[in-house]
Amino acid sequence: MDAPVLSGVEGPLLTIENLRTYFYSRAKRAFIRSVDGVSLSLARGETLGIVGESGSGKTVTALSAAGLVSAAPGVIGGSVELHSNGTRRKLLDGLDRYVRVKEHDGRVAEVEKDERGWRRHAETLMKGVRGKEIAMIFQNPRSALNPYSTIGNQLVETIRLHTSLRGGREAKECAIHWLERVRIDSPRLRFDNFPFGMSGGMCQRAMIAMALCAEPSLLIADEPTTGLDATIQSRIVELLAQLKAETGIATLLISHDISVIQRLSDRVAVMYGGTVVETGCATELLAPEAKLRHPYTAALLASIPSAETIRRKSYLQAIEGEVLDTIEVPRGCRFYGRCSRVTEAVRERCAGLEPPLAEVAPGHKLRCWLYPSAPSGAMHETRT
Amino acid sequence: MSRSILDVTDLSKHYSQRRGLFSMLTGQARVTPAVDGVSFYLRENETVGLVGESGCGKTTIGRTVLRLADPSGGRIVFDGRDITKLSRAEMRPLRREMQMIFQDLDAGLNPKMRVRAILREALTVYERPSDAEIERRIRGLMQQVNLKDSKLANFPAELSGGEKRRVGIARVLAVRPRLIVADEPTSALDVSIQAQVVNLLRDLQKDLGLTYLFISHDLPIVELVSQKVAVMYLGRIVEMGLAEDIAHRPRHPYTVILWSSLADKRSTEVSLRARGGATAQRERRAGGVADFEQPATGCRFAPRCSLYQDKGRPAVCTDRASEPQLRDVGNGHVVACHFA
Repeated sequence: MDAPVLSGVEGPLLTIENLRTYFYSRAKRAFIRSVDGVSLSLARGETLGIVGESGSGKTVTALSAAGLVSAAPGVIGGSVELHSNGTRRKLLDGLDRYVRVKEHDGRVAEVEKDERGWRRHAETLMKGVRGKEIAMIFQNPRSALNPYSTIGNQLVETIRLHTSLRGGREAKECAIHWLERVRIDSPRLRFDNFPFGMSGGMCQRAMIAMALCAEPSLLIADEPTTGLDATIQSRIVELLAQLKAETGIATLLISHDISVIQRLSDRVAVMYGGTVVETGCATELLAPEAKLRHPYTAALLASIPSAETIRRKSYLQAIEGEVLDTIEVPRGCRFYGRCSRVTEAVRERCAGLEPPLAEVAPGHKLRCWLYPSAPSGAMHETRT
Repeated sequence: MSRSILDVTDLSKHYSQRRGLFSMLTGQARVTPAVDGVSFYLRENETVGLVGESGCGKTTIGRTVLRLADPSGGRIVFDGRDITKLSRAEMRPLRREMQMIFQDLDAGLNPKMRVRAILREALTVYERPSDAEIERRIRGLMQQVNLKDSKLANFPAELSGGEKRRVGIARVLAVRPRLIVADEPTSALDVSIQAQVVNLLRDLQKDLGLTYLFISHDLPIVELVSQKVAVMYLGRIVEMGLAEDIAHRPRHPYTVILWSSLADKRSTEVSLRARGGATAQRERRAGGVADFEQPATGCRFAPRCSLYQDKGRPAVCTDRASEPQLRDVGNGHVVACHFA
């Protein structure tokens, strides 16, 4: 089996450019702008953590990259490029001909999409990618596993589909090997267990084994610890950290739990209302003493009870208002309505014009009028 | 010192399941002791936090003390009155004094009713106020939970998670309860909204003199809101005491694991990290998970316990006759462990 190649190819493993994924709300007769111009890149062996509240578009971004969005209109624009094992694949290549977007006043007003054409074409592009190159683990492991089949059989099925191992016995040995690698006790016995006979943590381990057994180059982990118990959560986080060290797999880690992101990520992207509002190195961006920070990131970090807050039994610093509803997206900054740091000097711009994602320090970008761009550099209109 | 509003003594709740033809014929049933001999009390205007892994019986305790489930044994005294054996009709007037906030945001919110109708229904369960009075109290409730009056015309499906939670709280407050069992009130919410709801619950306690039994697995939140914390493991309280003591000076090995598993995730907090690394090692040794169906003999935690391993597997831990009882280690801090 070929191990993930770390050298030889240049450039990032995954590049998402200006991705747009919309859904249509019949009740409100409007688009839900779930992902509205997201650009991200992920280097080989890197873990990129995406944080944000529910409805900020974290999961939809990942599902779009894996070609798993099924509701209409779905992905309507952007590009996703996967650069693995020496081949460069454009996962949305040539799909734009199935979509006609009518813009009115600078925003999408109408979308015509040939759903069937898009689907057929997208599936051919995804062949040999999903499951093989891009694997996913989800929030609720028990619902992602087939309840009518033993976990051993499910693993063997994945192995025979995505690797060169075809024989039953070989595949079984490989499956048991993977159950061992995810630290499941007595893997030979567990091989014949059904998902209902295993605890949530154990199911998540089996899911991770299934995702990794094809040795993909990218793992998308969507809230891998949410819904598990505190003690189990820390063990799954521990396991993911170990597997990352062992296999060097690149991971797109989605979580609303900042402590998980902190523990596992090299870089972080903070999402709000369908856009990336800040990206940067995890240790710097989430460090308690960091000064340069998007007001939303700052508020999000402040709303987690700190040791100090608990000791003094003081109030939690809540973010006023509700999470942005991505149907009625405001003209200006998406966080404007809840932001506590708007000053008179920038108020007009905050309300009327969406700030660009500007580089404020090397490798650190944020979308806020308070920090227009790097002190030395000119203003960028870059979206990366 | 305020008097106790709820006194629970030796409470147990067993669920039995009958499986297969044999047990049907013989009447034998497998019994799951979801709660097994639990005692605690709540003083008026106090918050007691109940923590533990899922399946340890937290919610069952909450439901049983409100008599939403019938206890299999023990005594529940609410406000000086034994309510263990009261009939449904006798319970009815007491129900308005003890309410529950459910984990599920949609529980109790009829999807076909507008917020106004939901609150109106709650207000008219026990009283027959005039329409003007109802309207006045609905507005008062909305103000208490920081919701705009414009939301009164909305259906639950049109509300966000935080708003649903607020309506749920307003609905509970409508009957003017004294004791509220809050079962994971924040677990379904985002962090920023969580903070709003926690602040709201604390404000309401101050303003209305409420008493909370706060069930959660979110340890920092529990420490923040509670005066006392009880840690549960497999249907029993293994440690109980003042929130600070439980959080910073835990004695029971299970509490230590529970707290440091949190620290493991937050490896950046340096002071906690030293503790966290050691736990990871202990955890790995600890292996398996809690299982009701195969309860250990003696101490229930022994199979996962690091202390048990360190002490060279002493026989007293697995002795069928000696399950460790809660004993006082000072300052009202009680621990059920032979060695802690």
